Amino acid sequence: MRTSYTISAIGHAAVLLWSVWSLAARPLTISASDSLPVDIVTATEFSQITKGMKSAPQTEAPKPLVEKVAEAKPVEDTSAKLVEKKEVKAARETPPSPEVKPVEEKPKEPKQAEAKVDPIAEALTKEDPKHQPKKAEAKPQPPTPPKKPAPPAPKFDPKQVEALLDKRNASRLAAAGETLNSNPGLGLPNGQATQLSQSELDALRARLRELWNPPLAPSDPEELVVVVEVKFRPDGTVEGQPRVLSSGRTPMAAAARDSAVRALLRGQPFTMLRREHYDLWKDIEIKFDPREMIRG
Amino acid sequence: MMSLSVSLTRRKVMALGAGVAAGAIGTLPVERALAVLKLDVTQGNVQPVPIAIPEFIAVATQDPALGRNISQIIGANLQRSGLFAPIDPAAFIEKFTTIDTLPRFPDWRLINAQALVTGRVTQGEGRLKAEFRLWDVFAGQQLHGQQYTTTADNWRRIAHIISDAIYERLTGDKGYFDSRVVFVDESGPKERRIKRLALMDQDGANVRYLTRGDDLVLTPRFSSSADTITYMSYGQGDPRVYLMNIETGQREIVSNFPGMTFSPRFSPDSQRVIFSLQRGGNSNLFVMDLRSKATTRLTDTQVIDTAPSYSPDGSHICFESDRGGKQQIYVMAADGGGAQRISFGDGVYSTPVWSPRGDYIAFTKQAEGRFAIGIMRTDGSGERILTEGYHNEGPTWCPNGRVIMFFRDPGGNAGPGLFTVDVTGRNEQPVKTPSYASDPSWSPLLQ
Repeated sequence: MRTSYTISAIGHAAVLLWSVWSLAARPLTISASDSLPVDIVTATEFSQITKGMKSAPQTEAPKPLVEKVAEAKPVEDTSAKLVEKKEVKAARETPPSPEVKPVEEKPKEPKQAEAKVDPIAEALTKEDPKHQPKKAEAKPQPPTPPKKPAPPAPKFDPKQVEALLDKRNASRLAAAGETLNSNPGLGLPNGQATQLSQSELDALRARLRELWNPPLAPSDPEELVVVVEVKFRPDGTVEGQPRVLSSGRTPMAAAARDSAVRALLRGQPFTMLRREHYDLWKDIEIKFDPREMIRG
Repeated sequence: MMSLSVSLTRRKVMALGAGVAAGAIGTLPVERALAVLKLDVTQGNVQPVPIAIPEFIAVATQDPALGRNISQIIGANLQRSGLFAPIDPAAFIEKFTTIDTLPRFPDWRLINAQALVTGRVTQGEGRLKAEFRLWDVFAGQQLHGQQYTTTADNWRRIAHIISDAIYERLTGDKGYFDSRVVFVDESGPKERRIKRLALMDQDGANVRYLTRGDDLVLTPRFSSSADTITYMSYGQGDPRVYLMNIETGQREIVSNFPGMTFSPRFSPDSQRVIFSLQRGGNSNLFVMDLRSKATTRLTDTQVIDTAPSYSPDGSHICFESDRGGKQQIYVMAADGGGAQRISFGDGVYSTPVWSPRGDYIAFTKQAEGRFAIGIMRTDGSGERILTEGYHNEGPTWCPNGRVIMFFRDPGGNAGPGLFTVDVTGRNEQPVKTPSYASDPSWSPLLQ
């Protein structure tokens, strides 16, 4: 009994030690990168959120537009004309039934050889040294075009691109939901179908990094940190003067402020910010912090 | 198999943990997004700022080129600092006839000028009036405007003062252009080199000789009032420490007691002079009150303590000593005692000089036959070598503590020359002197 206790105790201790050691030996390394906002939504929630119309009047309690009671489906373009869904009909009423042609009747090999003109095979036979002299004997003119040219490929005529365009009017499917609601709404307040992507922010940061020329003092870097609130116009230019939120009375702070504002003014228009996300980037608070540069 | 499943489980747990953390972080921006989006920029560029300095408008000046000369001096000063890149005047689109109207900013944005300096210099009745405006081209506003009046022969100083004003407004740091340098001018063949004390503007202009070259002179140092220097001179007999008023040329001997005195330096208040006194095979540090002539011993050792330098607040002294076997840098309180060694690198450290900012100590470091100029924090950490090669020596700080001047002797038949390097070590430049030059000492900003 005692022996088993001892063995058990030693065993547990060993496992514990091993786990502690192995955890300590491999510390979790976290690469420094920006966090990506992640939110888990169900498909139903997503479609609920995205159902909205920008030009709609604001209501107290916004409800999604519902024109048809059905299972929820996302709406791509709410401004398009509403049409009833038509049944898709194939061009031929009755497709040829495969049973008509019995499999046994098909003389496969000869038919294939005759019907399909394989340009590669033909070229190969032409180039075949065995066949060439024969052909030369039979017909004295060497540049004879092949008797049976390959079926002409559909030609692309750039002048008739228009013919390829879909001339039907834009249409959309009815917005479906559990209960009917004929009033178009602005969408739900917690809707987030359009999020400013991380790459847009990174591109903005990279541009500012190119433009920003901070004053670098050998010491006292605290006062060099500048927070600027900047309002953008939809075309990416800065509206008015960027507002400096950090306060500092020293000449160093003034120089730091100017350098941050100058970077913003020099960089406009910031075309990497996409217009469809304007609501999100129309007002950005940017913190310019050169201390990392000074510490090197 | 067992261990695999365990590690998998652990990894899953970690992934789950990370996921939870990401979720927790992820919810924050959503809430903030309703208010305002936030962005951090922690890196910028260290390129010099492009600045346009058109010719100053000259009104009734005797020298028609005065306007151009002033703008050229300003441009040269700013360029030498390494922080600014003056734009070639040939690229300028707008020509100024007055400085009282707004510049056409789009013209200046087009040539990518970030700052613009416009100025006017007016002469009348022997006086010179200089005005300037500093513009932020992209913000389209005036950052600074000032006017100065002086005598006509002082026009170079006006250019330096304007340079300082621009530098201060754009970097936030005090400038250093309106300052002078005293150095030892060396001429003649190597065997019979004549050494004279000389004074010049920090850009190498206006050289003036303070001694005739009869005596050997070494280690001139400025007082904080920039009108007095202390130096060591070999006349007849032992080397002595002297004081000299550079305006009047008046000289006086500081220490008149037996033994060789050398390596003098003023205290920050210029009331005292600290120096080394050699007796026998060792030397110790002493300080003398210039009014009462009372001398106080600071160290009492059987080794060589020398090259003392005060911290800008006057509370501490750094000096070199071989008390540990070879020359190293030590720091102690200004009234002596309790010296702490701060240099621990390979090689020999000498000529420590405390920065006027108080943050760094500059030094000469000798290792493997090479002489380097470097800086370290006052506790000895963060040692950084700024320049290295055969015989660099004698660092001296510019008034704002961002640039160091030193002398370099290439060896052979050539003589030493003066150089400047900034505290990053990126921007090293020669200083033009009429002849060979050594032992520079940078004055504080002129009053």
